[in-house]
Amino acid sequence: MKFNSDPAWLKKQASLEDNCFVSVGGLVSAVEDLEQQTQQATASRTAFVKLLNLTRREHKLTWEQFSQKLDVDLAELMEIENDESYKPTPRTVTKIAHFLHVPAEKLFILSGLARVHDRYFKEAALRFAARSQPVKELSSEEHEALKEYVKFLCER
Amino acid sequence: MKTRVHIIDNTTGQAVEAEIFDEVTVEHFIETQQEWRPIVLKAARQLAARGSHQLIPQHFHWDWTTKAPELKVLANAFYGIRYDNQLQGLMKIETVGQFCSCRLPEQVDKALVYVDYIEVAPWNLKVLMNALGEKPRYNVIGSRLIEAAVLKSKEEDCKGRIGLHSLPMTESFYIKTCRMTPVGRDPAKQNLLWLEYTPEQAENFLTGAR
Repeated sequence: MKFNSDPAWLKKQASLEDNCFVSVGGLVSAVEDLEQQTQQATASRTAFVKLLNLTRREHKLTWEQFSQKLDVDLAELMEIENDESYKPTPRTVTKIAHFLHVPAEKLFILSGLARVHDRYFKEAALRFAARSQPVKELSSEEHEALKEYVKFLCER
Repeated sequence: MKTRVHIIDNTTGQAVEAEIFDEVTVEHFIETQQEWRPIVLKAARQLAARGSHQLIPQHFHWDWTTKAPELKVLANAFYGIRYDNQLQGLMKIETVGQFCSCRLPEQVDKALVYVDYIEVAPWNLKVLMNALGEKPRYNVIGSRLIEAAVLKSKEEDCKGRIGLHSLPMTESFYIKTCRMTPVGRDPAKQNLLWLEYTPEQAENFLTGAR
């Protein structure tokens, strides 16, 4: 491809274009559609967190060990786990995808970095998020930790 | 493909060397969502608050990440312009598909390259930057993308013929700046205006002849 390198052409185009709108594509859809997309993204995000959590437990790894295996910052992993609105970096998601042996593009969608108009993908994410809700009772260790933390919160 | 092209830096009025490329990935789409969209929405809110509803960009809701599956379609090509370590503009074109045929009577049914999507980074758009009390940074991004589409059309033996559906607020850019021919409203695409280049018009755009 040979682009025009003539300064006069560039100057003329600059004057004509003048930083105006040039967008090509579809018109604005209803604002309600945007809100619906946000809700679907939340369901996918829950599935992403569950997937991370179950994978870590499947491999019997602590969060620290998991972060080392993934070569991902522990703080970022904790953000993903605990903050619904947190958007992981594409680099982190790529590393997680590599560890899980799944296509990075699928995890981009699940993590909320990308969107997809695929009903089955969304439904599968929703089903996974719902099915993988833990029903196991807390271990004595978890129970103690929770009790201690609640006590701490009450005393503050 | 990676090629150096000049764009204009508005702060100095001088040409600067940017890079136009076609190896667009899903990471670029994510970049638009993370870097562009918040600014577009912020400016749109400002315009709405001022009652300037007619200036609210008609593409404020776009999400390039939904285009990720289309990266694998051979009939599609994506082009990006990068400068200052930031994506300055992005375009998707189709070489095969329902909109890849000419409609102008003089070239009806001939193959063309269809420009499906173009978006320029919000910091390069005057209306949005004015709404945020700033000045647009770089100019000629839209022209460079259209130039890439015309060059691709020539590569595809379409002789520079391209077609697109313009949003209402961008019609003047395609009619007055690019000098494309407005053919008519298309009921199959939200009644948007369909515009086309003949080979002669495309050549005039490439060379700057009027």
